[in-house]
Amino acid sequence: MVGRFNSKYASLGLFLALTGLPLVLGIGYSLLHSTGLAGIGPKGFTPAHWGEVLTGSEFWRSLGFSFWVAACSIGLALGLALAAVVRGQERWQRGILSWLIYLPLALPAMVVAFLVFQTLSGAGLASRLAFRLGLTGGIEGFPNWVNDPWGVGIIAAHVLMATPFFIILFSNLYQSERLGEYAQLAATLGATARQSARRVIVPVLLRQSFPTLVLYFIFVMGSYEIPLLLGSQSPQMVSVLTIRKLQRFDLADMPQAYVVGVLYSVFVVGAVVLLLRSKTEKTTTA
Amino acid sequence: MHRILLLALVFLAACTNAPQQPASDATALTWEQVLQQAQGSTVHLMMWQGDPLINAYMQRYVAPAVKEQFGISLEIASGQGNAIVQTLMTEMEAGKTTSELDLMWINGETFYQLRQVDALFGPWTDRLPNAQLIDFQNPFINTDFQQPVDGYECPWGNVQMTLIYNSEFVKDPPRRREALAAFVKAHPGKFTFDTQFTGLTFLKSLLIDIAGGGNALDGAFDEKKYQQTSAQLWAYLREIQPYLWKEGKTFPDSRAPMHQLFSNGELWFSLTNNDNEVDSKVRQGLFPPTARAYVPDFGSIQNSHYMGIPKLSGNKAGAAVVANFLISPEAQLEKQKQEVWGDGTVLDLDKLPAEWKPKFESLAARQYAPPRSELQKLALRELAPEYMIRLAKDFREQIIEQ
Repeated sequence: MVGRFNSKYASLGLFLALTGLPLVLGIGYSLLHSTGLAGIGPKGFTPAHWGEVLTGSEFWRSLGFSFWVAACSIGLALGLALAAVVRGQERWQRGILSWLIYLPLALPAMVVAFLVFQTLSGAGLASRLAFRLGLTGGIEGFPNWVNDPWGVGIIAAHVLMATPFFIILFSNLYQSERLGEYAQLAATLGATARQSARRVIVPVLLRQSFPTLVLYFIFVMGSYEIPLLLGSQSPQMVSVLTIRKLQRFDLADMPQAYVVGVLYSVFVVGAVVLLLRSKTEKTTTA
Repeated sequence: MHRILLLALVFLAACTNAPQQPASDATALTWEQVLQQAQGSTVHLMMWQGDPLINAYMQRYVAPAVKEQFGISLEIASGQGNAIVQTLMTEMEAGKTTSELDLMWINGETFYQLRQVDALFGPWTDRLPNAQLIDFQNPFINTDFQQPVDGYECPWGNVQMTLIYNSEFVKDPPRRREALAAFVKAHPGKFTFDTQFTGLTFLKSLLIDIAGGGNALDGAFDEKKYQQTSAQLWAYLREIQPYLWKEGKTFPDSRAPMHQLFSNGELWFSLTNNDNEVDSKVRQGLFPPTARAYVPDFGSIQNSHYMGIPKLSGNKAGAAVVANFLISPEAQLEKQKQEVWGDGTVLDLDKLPAEWKPKFESLAARQYAPPRSELQKLALRELAPEYMIRLAKDFREQIIEQ
């Protein structure tokens, strides 16, 4: 009994040492750097960098913009993937689509960003097609979808990456949760296909995939390459803002990069813990 | 529990550095001894690798040459500007005694930052036999961003900023500041500049013009002058902002996307810090054959690029030998060839051994950019680094985030 107890805590300790410790060390170092207690240059405690980030609008706009991009990307990808799986689940399990759907997952984020740029930019494929079809009079007439303040290009790239992933996830869940049988049961009890999807299939898929969706949301919020190529100069997503502060011309901006890093980490870790705990509590209560 | 403690200790031990041998100092050695010490060593060079022609010159010409002539293995890693500063700062913070880098391609703003954090080795360039061939009388070479190089970095090449335009659409490119504003207003969406080094260098040219041109802003950073001239610069930019690419709501993040927008026709202008780039890009098929480069009458900044050795380099002898090769007549001549890189030499042709001068003078002229002798007349000196730092910050506040 004691051995099992020790082994359980040893595993937990090892897990924390490999996952939590680097994170704590990183955040700790960033805290020291952001308050002037570490790093090369003027030494001595100062709250000035925190004050500048917290009272300025740049970080909050960046955080809000990152949330907007993640919410739109995940929302759209979720809708598309659910529709694809609910309307024709078999095609993702057998036939050509069952392996074609894996191909987009092999594309690096930068490649997807480049494809979107080539397609949606002013001189891109869509613009050329619109011009040929007489829909626009030239580059100027084509909508601003890349490097735009609403992040349309960034969202498009993330939807392209997330939708196949969600389709695979939902399709596998559909099988493992035997949702086909539940749908049949619902139909025998008089439910229409739409009712069966809305009341049975979709709720189960969403509940089972909730942790993955939360983590993917965080992944999109923190993405770098896609907003770097497709984003606007203002607002910038959090990762792009952090690197700009860290790597541009003014060394005095570096502590602000660490402030942004700490704040973002706290938000993200806090949100994940809260969301997943409330989910666990709900599941336990249910 | 003690096992977990042990694991944590192992982890922490892995994060710290074992004491290392202090880096050797090559300044006390004769050049013969430097060559001997460098023989068989590896030099880790960090440089910008954004141009295939430059990469090919380094990988296919320089690396084999230093291997063959001096037995040095040249390992090239990608990194520039602040990445170099951060690498060296992190090493210093971590208490390392030997750097991962031995040699670095640096420009003025990086030189300034590295001197700020005292990360550069030097003075060392007077130890190089080929340094006596360098045109150190030239203020565009002996001074970097208004800071004397003082032997802490070795001049390597010299370039001047040019505006690139598509002559198919732009028959008579604007040559004065007012004419540029009028052109931008008449052709909305066709002009922009990036927010990194190239774009800021362009803004500096405008700032100098506003200040009165020529040497008006030379010397140490002057807050009063900056306030006066930058206020006019922001007013000028706000006037043309709605007519810039994307209505001036955003700007390309760097030179590469700006070049891409130029090559696909979305922009009629692009900018470059390398006056030879238009020729190399047309030759590579990346720019249309109608691309041309020019310098407006208000001038453009000419600057040099340099090689620096980190204070903590473990192979200063090897780094010095490589740097000496890079400024040799043969390496500089090869580098200046249009089809190789087209980078301007830092050597004084009058100081070269007799057989070399005609070789430099008979190099093929470029087709799409004016000759260097013409550009030289419009060359402006780099400003003190604080101008760039302030312009980058204020441009964001005054223009991008408005």
